[in-house]
Amino acid sequence: MELSLTVNGQPAVVDVPPGTTLLEVLRDELGLTGTKEVCDEGECGACTVIVDGRPLDACIYAAHAADRAEVLTVEGLAAGDELTDLQRAFVEAGSVQCGFCTPGFLVMATHLLETAAELSEEQVRRGLAGNLCRCTGYAQIVDAVLAVGRGA
Amino acid sequence: MDFRRAGTTDEIVSILAEVGPDATLLAGGTDVMVQYLRGEIAPKLLVHIEQVDELAGVDEADGRVDIGALTTHLTLSEDPVIRRTVPGLAEAASQVGGHQTQAVGTVGGNLCNASPAADTAPPLLVADAELRLRSAAGTRTVPLDRFFLGRRHTARRPDEVLTSIAVRPLPSHAGETYLKVGRRGAMEVAIVGLAARLVLDDDGDVVTDARLAVCSMAPRPLRLPDAERLLVGSRGEPEAVAAAADAVQETTEPIDDARARAAYRRRLVPRLLAEAVRLCMRRARGEEESWS
Ligand SMILES: Cc1cc2nc3c(=O)[nH]c(=O)nc-3n(C[C@H](O)[C@H](O)[C@H](O)COP(=O)(O)OP(=O)(O)OC[C@H]3O[C@@H](n4cnc5c(N)ncnc54)[C@H](O)[C@@H]3O)c2cc1C
Ligand code: FES
Ligand code: FES
Repeated sequence: MELSLTVNGQPAVVDVPPGTTLLEVLRDELGLTGTKEVCDEGECGACTVIVDGRPLDACIYAAHAADRAEVLTVEGLAAGDELTDLQRAFVEAGSVQCGFCTPGFLVMATHLLETAAELSEEQVRRGLAGNLCRCTGYAQIVDAVLAVGRGA
Repeated sequence: MDFRRAGTTDEIVSILAEVGPDATLLAGGTDVMVQYLRGEIAPKLLVHIEQVDELAGVDEADGRVDIGALTTHLTLSEDPVIRRTVPGLAEAASQVGGHQTQAVGTVGGNLCNASPAADTAPPLLVADAELRLRSAAGTRTVPLDRFFLGRRHTARRPDEVLTSIAVRPLPSHAGETYLKVGRRGAMEVAIVGLAARLVLDDDGDVVTDARLAVCSMAPRPLRLPDAERLLVGSRGEPEAVAAAADAVQETTEPIDDARARAAYRRRLVPRLLAEAVRLCMRRARGEEESWS
């Protein structure tokens, strides 16, 4: 069953059976493997993408529900080799260890920064509660988001 | 499996009239897709209803507040009308999963999925929620306390779509809250969830009306009329709260599962109830903001 969507500004048409997840379309059909697959149950946020302005877990979102939607993945954040402020802050704050959770955190935090005028630590922690990291202990990730959120 | 997208409520109703029990409505899909991917359900047809705009949003008129079935948890937690008129619902919605789940998960999906742990159920029960269910035969109204029949089992007929939920706004001299205990602070299914709405007399002293409801304490979310009666006429004193907590133990039937043992769930009730009564009374007296 065909569906068309715009991913990171590029139109795409794929033909997959109903019940296929958006994550499978991104990774297997479109080769966008930046979005990670970990729990496959909506628990960890590694597969977070933005669909029509809403951050969601692509592993439990039906691909056909995203028909005609605009999708933003981690690949769509940087402009070529030019990292975003948040991506640079992640590098500087040591927010990346094994890196498997990083794409999901970047997409989710980018959304938080874009939708809130100012972010407190409490708001950052609450906003990132759906993203799990086994390595960093979160402090470095929260620091990076706050550094950008406070315009530092 | 087939997939269809409905653009209007009429379209949903006519698809359901045609296909009936073989169709599964897909709202945010945060329950449907997990169950489908685990092989727990095998629908013949998914009907994507998430983009039926007329089923989303909050409306206040004539002393009632109407909540569209497709209103997301994120909207419920931020909407000024909800935060003023059913603050316990805003509190509950803000504790559903993480941001990603709240951004797409809907209140209608939460109710129709009928998990024993559905977080929006207790605050809606204490607000006398009534559900509007529409089919080709017309619209009927079902009180929420008669909607849940058991785990994942509701009074919804297969040809019906839940269109909206009507609630009674918090009256004056009243306070409400939703308290949730999980294994950790966020992203956790309730081990026990308790909603309370207390109305005080004009002096802010005596409880004149009490509403209590729980989730995760029985196969379905429950109102607790016996415990409520024991709080009415009290000043929220420890003896009255303890008696009400005893009544909760008698009405509920918690289970042992991977998250907690029944005995632990039971042990949480007295302390949760005491905290809920304390918070409701402070909020009713204006000593504390309803929601932070
Ligand atoms: C990671 C994660 C964490 C979660 N945490 C919580 C939590 O803390 N608390 C909690 O209560 N839940 C939680 N949930 C469960 C779920 O997110 C909620 O129940 C959510 O509200 C479901 O809404 P939905 O729109 O996604 O429903 P869907 O999955 O689309 O639908 C759920 C059910 O309702 C039916 N349905 C949906 N809309 C209608 C309608 N308008 N009329 C008739 N039937 C309808 C569907 O056919 C289906 O049977 C969690 C889920 C995940 C994946
Ligand atoms: S892989 Fe999607 S939430 Fe974990
Ligand atoms: S850096 Fe390894 S999981 Fe987060």
